[in-house]
Amino acid sequence: MTGLRIPPEAGPDERATEFADAAGPQVQAGARPAGRFGAAGWLRWGWRQLTSMRTALILLFLLAVGSVPGSLLPQEGSNPEAVAQYYTAHPRLAPILARFSLFDVFGAPWFAAIYLLLFLSLVGCVLPRTVRMVGSARQPPPRAPRHLARLPLSVSYRTDQPPEQALASAARLLSGKRFRVRAEADWVAAEKGYLREAGNLLFHIALLAVLVSIGLGGLYGYKANRLLVAGTSFSNTVTALDVFRPGRLVTPGDLQPFSLTLDRFSASYVTSGTLMGQPSAFNAALTYTSAPGGPSRRYLLTVNHPLVVDGVRVFLIGHGYAPEFRVTDGAGHVAFDGPVPFIPVETSGFTSEGAIKVPDASPQQLGFAGVFLPTTVDVGGRLASAFPAPLKPSVSLVSYAGNLGMNSATPQSVYTLDTAGLHQLAVAPRPLTAGQSIQLPGRLGTLTYLGYRQWISLAITYDPGQFPALVSGIAVLGGLLLSFMVRRRRVFVRARAGAAGETIIEVGGLSRSDAAGGFEDEFSSLATEIRGLSSPPAPPASPGRPEEHRGDHEPPEGE
Amino acid sequence: MPINAGLAHLSNGLLLTAVVIYAVAMLAFACDFAFGKKRAPDVATVRVRELVSAKAATGAADGAGAGGSAPGGAEADAAAAAQRAGRGPAGFWVTTAVVLTCAGLALHSAGVLTRGLAVHRLPWGDMYEFVTALTCVAVAFFLGAMVRYRAYYMGLFVMASVVLVLGLAETVIYTPAGELPPALQSYWLAIHVTAMTLATGIFFVAAVTGVTYLVVDRHARRVAAGPPAGADGILRRLPGPAELDRLAYRTIVFGFPVWTFGVMAGAIWADYAWGSYWSWDPTETWAFITWVVYACFLHARATAGWRGRRAALIQLTAFCCLLFNVLVVSLIIPGQHSYAGLH
Amino acid sequence: MFRPPGSARRAAVGAALAAVVLSAAACGGGATAQQTAEGNGSSFVSGTYATTVFRQGARPVAPQVTGTTLTGTRFLLSADRGAVVVLNFWGSWCSPCREEAPALGALARHFSGAGVRFVGVDIRDDTASAEAFMRTFRIGYPSLNDPSDAIALDFSGTVPPAGIPTTLVIDRSGRIAARIVGTASYDGLEALITSVEPA
Repeated sequence: MTGLRIPPEAGPDERATEFADAAGPQVQAGARPAGRFGAAGWLRWGWRQLTSMRTALILLFLLAVGSVPGSLLPQEGSNPEAVAQYYTAHPRLAPILARFSLFDVFGAPWFAAIYLLLFLSLVGCVLPRTVRMVGSARQPPPRAPRHLARLPLSVSYRTDQPPEQALASAARLLSGKRFRVRAEADWVAAEKGYLREAGNLLFHIALLAVLVSIGLGGLYGYKANRLLVAGTSFSNTVTALDVFRPGRLVTPGDLQPFSLTLDRFSASYVTSGTLMGQPSAFNAALTYTSAPGGPSRRYLLTVNHPLVVDGVRVFLIGHGYAPEFRVTDGAGHVAFDGPVPFIPVETSGFTSEGAIKVPDASPQQLGFAGVFLPTTVDVGGRLASAFPAPLKPSVSLVSYAGNLGMNSATPQSVYTLDTAGLHQLAVAPRPLTAGQSIQLPGRLGTLTYLGYRQWISLAITYDPGQFPALVSGIAVLGGLLLSFMVRRRRVFVRARAGAAGETIIEVGGLSRSDAAGGFEDEFSSLATEIRGLSSPPAPPASPGRPEEHRGDHEPPEGE
Repeated sequence: MPINAGLAHLSNGLLLTAVVIYAVAMLAFACDFAFGKKRAPDVATVRVRELVSAKAATGAADGAGAGGSAPGGAEADAAAAAQRAGRGPAGFWVTTAVVLTCAGLALHSAGVLTRGLAVHRLPWGDMYEFVTALTCVAVAFFLGAMVRYRAYYMGLFVMASVVLVLGLAETVIYTPAGELPPALQSYWLAIHVTAMTLATGIFFVAAVTGVTYLVVDRHARRVAAGPPAGADGILRRLPGPAELDRLAYRTIVFGFPVWTFGVMAGAIWADYAWGSYWSWDPTETWAFITWVVYACFLHARATAGWRGRRAALIQLTAFCCLLFNVLVVSLIIPGQHSYAGLH
Repeated sequence: MFRPPGSARRAAVGAALAAVVLSAAACGGGATAQQTAEGNGSSFVSGTYATTVFRQGARPVAPQVTGTTLTGTRFLLSADRGAVVVLNFWGSWCSPCREEAPALGALARHFSGAGVRFVGVDIRDDTASAEAFMRTFRIGYPSLNDPSDAIALDFSGTVPPAGIPTTLVIDRSGRIAARIVGTASYDGLEALITSVEPA
């Protein structure tokens, strides 16, 4: 049962014991010597190698090995900051790794080559087998082998019933158990379990469908991120998004035109015990419309429960604090007045870092960088935050003036100051509570800390391939279960007249050798039933006497 | 709802007691190897014995022939007969070991259950809980497989591994009972982690069988090459390579769909939590790698020249990937899956 | 059945492996460029620089844009029918917008009184910062305050702003004639406006 092709000259015994559905492009041992070396011959040979099991094995292994660097090295798609850090940490190694796309393994051409080759191999194997399976849908089971005792499972007994009657009742029984039966004069052959091949093919085809669904999402779907401060709103347009990753065929006009407002955000934390400080719930109260001018609805957004609007899903993936500042410049104008999102840098106290840039302050551009501490405590002279909730918030900033570097076209990070063109001002940072101000020296201006708001970070995703992927995934599982649980098995019955005028009935059975077990039980109960159909059995032969059809085996062990 | 400290305490106590009982059971299995009745014949003759005893079974059926005694009943059951021809009745040591294992499993399950009651949720939310739950599944599965296939030889190896892993769980990776962070509060969590726990437990048993197979197979080759080198007392009690190979295959066939389902459930959960059902997060990637290597194993068994030893090595590689995923990736490599509860 | 001799087979396999490795090296580093913000948290989509011009007869109708200027005046795009309108999406925090601001201010002064109106749409900014920006670059034309991106949304069905900054040129009959994504240059925008004017 190795899946070798059955040579046409095989006798009935060989054909009975080979399950032909696995016939694939395995080259037989002892193939004929090489014929023409023409291009067509090479192509055919190449195709057969590609669609062989061994190649599939190697490609599967390469797929696994190829995924390893994608999990150990930082990847562009999910963590670009870590990639940049890797470059600074390993300046000579990083470009070499980038040459082989090791920072984008799953989008790399060589990774695509592996899985495309694998699926090509799969298609080349699956299609002919599907055709063959459909073709064999009406094929009868093979002839019964001559020597049933050579089968892995066999039983024989004697009965008074005439052979034809015994065979007919056996055939009826097997047919009643939904075996496909072929009855001839001396024997009956029955086969069952064709669904196994169907399950196997369904599994592999469904894998292909999963790949196609993923591709669909990659072409027509998009992912975006947006940070939203409480009390503000945004609409789903490219100008409003922080990060926009469109599929290849997505244009800005394809975005679904919904808008949403964050009315209020609240986070609750564990207040006591060993897990103090761990978040226990996040709630974002939203108001949204699915199209301009449409009715506005409310939704409570929590983790694991996204907002679904117009086929797009909006997820809550993070939160933080946005302290509010007002900056008055040296000329007396208010040059900045609003919330600035600060990014959390640790989770136990939610210490957050950020920067305020005032490029239009006169006479000099102003910049501030520092930390926001939700629950300010003094730990041996150093400021820290003891708890993530805003129980005692304060903000501490270092002040700068000069050239922020914003007038050139190269974009900067919003959360950090580029201090190359700035000089630090001689005013010591101290923790400010709401309403307190920093007076800048040299009549450069004033910064007032007004209080804080909270912000949430949203992931906006649209993936038209998501539902097909789910359906395909279910089909994968279904095909897998079918191919594992259904066994392809054959049962043969032979009846012949014995020396003393009785009938000797032999029942033999086999299943695919690599099938999961259980056929032994089924066979034994079938054999019992077939035997039970006969009239009262003949007196037993004396135990230990070797039966004449046993052949050259050792005598059985004494019981 | 606040954590029930009393139940959490009870859970710890039950689990610690279970580890001790498992250790004693492991010793009993070891004693069975050392002192138990020699049951298994020489490894080299087992294969022939299997075939012959199948015929013997059918011959006995023939001979017995009495109306009611169904030939199918036990006799024509070739696999069981082969095993029985090699095994024989369970001895005193094995019985003791099995009883102890059952007792330990009862306490183990109670420990997992009380932990769940203490934290008012399914008790596999962090690394410690995951390990205690999966070892519980492994022991239960092992007991079932052992009884079904009369594979008592697995006892020593499985229990040794379980004691080691559970011991590590109680000491190194112990986390006190607590709430789950919001990202983990979803019923898909229960489904995904349950499936992965089950599958890991099943693959654990398969891996133990695979290691046993390699040892026995190497010994069989040596025996075939010449007289045994001596000191092979344990090895002679183990069944033949073919049977171990079959057992490993059947175990993996059982576990592979569960793993597939677990990965899919994880994708559904990821979709609800982070908006993307597959984002090549390191834990996701290694679960995928594990899946692919187990698929390699299944393909290898159907490919000429790759069965037996090579397939067993592939299967063990796959389990190593699984271990790498659980031990290294979740704890050390940052990603969105870091829910271990360790800091 | 055709089965090449062992040496030929090995050569073929070796060639295939070599091809895979070489192509991996050759295509390396070619991660697909997508429209994203730089990974350093610059927090907006600047889009790929591109100028799109619509020929006469192929110009989409501009949507009905309403808003409030930073000084509180009501604004209606259709009220400017008969003049060419240059609509510029910007923010004071956006470096490329700061780079093109002098050019826009100068062009506005150059075309003032010539039937060309410049209007800004200020995105994700507070009023104080926006006014300070206009003081710094001496921008004389009004800007609309658009905190919820409603104006950008209005254009999403026709010619959406595909990043910041984006400049739209709308002809006298209220049709969108051109779009620049990215920093606009003085000469480039002037040429666009003069080519649209005869409409």
